[in-house]
Amino acid sequence: MELAAQIASSGILMGFIFALIALGLTLIFGVMNIVNFAHGEFLMIGMYGAFLTSTLLSVEPLISLPIVAVVGFLLGITSYYLLIRYLLRGPMVAQLFGTFGLMLFLRYLVMFIMGPSPLAIHKGILIGKTVSLGWLIFDVGKLTAAGFSILLFMLIYWMIEKTKLGRALRATSIDAEAARYMGIDTEKMNAFAWGIGGATAAIAGGLLANFYYLTPTVGMLFVMIAFATVALGGFGSIRGAFLAGLIIGVIEMVAGQYLSQLKISFVYLAYFLVVVFRPRGLLGW
Amino acid sequence: MRAIVAVIKDTFSLADLPLSERIAFVAFLVFVFIFPWIVHSSYPRAVMINFLLFAMYGLGWNLIGGYGGQVDLGQAKNVGFGAYATALMITWWGVPFWVTVPVGIFIAVAESLAVAYPMFRLRGHYFAIATLCVALVWQQLFLFWDWTGGARGVELPIKPTPNFTFMEFGTVGYHYFIFGLFTAQFLFMNWLRKSKLGYELQAVRDNEDAAASLGINVTWTKVKAYLITAAMGAVGGSFYAVYHLYIDPRCVMHIDLTILIAMTAMVGGAGSIWGPIIGAALLIPLDMYLAALLGGKGFYGIDFIIYALIIMVIAAREPRGIWGIIERIRRKRLIHAAGGQKST
Repeated sequence: MELAAQIASSGILMGFIFALIALGLTLIFGVMNIVNFAHGEFLMIGMYGAFLTSTLLSVEPLISLPIVAVVGFLLGITSYYLLIRYLLRGPMVAQLFGTFGLMLFLRYLVMFIMGPSPLAIHKGILIGKTVSLGWLIFDVGKLTAAGFSILLFMLIYWMIEKTKLGRALRATSIDAEAARYMGIDTEKMNAFAWGIGGATAAIAGGLLANFYYLTPTVGMLFVMIAFATVALGGFGSIRGAFLAGLIIGVIEMVAGQYLSQLKISFVYLAYFLVVVFRPRGLLGW
Repeated sequence: MRAIVAVIKDTFSLADLPLSERIAFVAFLVFVFIFPWIVHSSYPRAVMINFLLFAMYGLGWNLIGGYGGQVDLGQAKNVGFGAYATALMITWWGVPFWVTVPVGIFIAVAESLAVAYPMFRLRGHYFAIATLCVALVWQQLFLFWDWTGGARGVELPIKPTPNFTFMEFGTVGYHYFIFGLFTAQFLFMNWLRKSKLGYELQAVRDNEDAAASLGINVTWTKVKAYLITAAMGAVGGSFYAVYHLYIDPRCVMHIDLTILIAMTAMVGGAGSIWGPIIGAALLIPLDMYLAALLGGKGFYGIDFIIYALIIMVIAAREPRGIWGIIERIRRKRLIHAAGGQKST
């Protein structure tokens, strides 16, 4: 019982981070119907950003979060203007390969600069600390990451639902042509969605770096988790991504308890089963 | 009888292609055939063998990815099934190579058939990610499965003399072996692209709904192409196992292999019979040159950075690859020529 509660709570904590990662992906998919394979690499760059700022400037990893967010935002916007804009005019095959190429490019660029061996942040107020609530034990890094994820998720959800910018974004995602007639600069909205996607993924990476090893190839893992999350929640659905993140977090944690080496296979399996049997996901249209 | 003659004619005939292409292809075949006689050092020979292998992989992938327009990101698993079937059966039981090949094909086709029906309920992105998921599950399984050697891989026993039962010989032997396999696969593809399935597949790629309304069973067409692609991958894998005499999940099951295979077809020009050959001719020497130039010097991943740039430029500018550029130039010339005639 205690073990089950421990697993479930740890899974839910990870789930909040998965939800944050999936948020950007589902937003991009919702707005321009394109799947971003490079999403995990944005996260990976966030991790390295946090690592570099905290080790080179020897500041607390949490303080690097705003820097990481800006880097992620700029990365997203740059990718949009330099690549995605052209891909959107081409066939679907080209879109898939284009973002796949972007993924490879960012991954191996980081590997080229930082080397392939795993790194970790060793100094910071969150590193290696745990806190116990009754008989449940939590990693402080995970707890903080989950807290930030919830906050950020709520912030972006509010922005999309309530602000004028968010309304323009939603209008673009429903019908880009009609939105253009209404005077919305859809090109800018697309770029903005990519910026938000990049920023949230990079922040998730910056939070993960507190308790997760950094390797240049870590992005693949997280982009696959994000695909599974987005599929489960319904492509394009933001609330769905949140709910699905929690579910995927628990699946990953339970599978990890019994088959630690193959745990990620269960996430892939989850994606497969969801898209085959319920393609619109839990909360999709 | 007449049907058989027609099949044989379709297999060997390139009559639907321009004369220049036919001449170039025959010249290419002659060049590959005499290659071991003119080049004696082992490195270029290894490049040549690798080129033929990847041209073969690319031709296989081209069926589902190019003619079918379905982005399959799981071809490495089929190569892996072939390679593992051959390697394990030879190492454990000493089964002749030629028996292991059909077994590898059978495993790849059976697995593909098992996942094909749920998979082809999906279109586009969903399908591509699903193939990636399945391939990654297999990659993980083979990495951690002690039964298949896990991450350590499988080492095949080395025979003292050239051996046709286990297909082990020197470089020249392997050259003609892979050349034979490549030619056989090319001829098969040449027949297939003009067969009913070939046309149905292209119709499905261009417009699924229109194809369905013409009475084409869309799903079954895709599944057939998917299975043939799987079988071709498995044959390549079997060759890989006896050529390198060592396999592990990183070289035959890995996602990087899928990327390279799909790239040979995409860069050369997916959906054309020449595409994969052109792509492999460009990428494989580049890959091996970079590996030789930078290997062990601490430059990690520079080859993939270059690939990634090529992929991005091609995807953004000319999704039909190098062959697409050639065809565009040719069309322009044709229009010019027609315009010139009109004015006189």
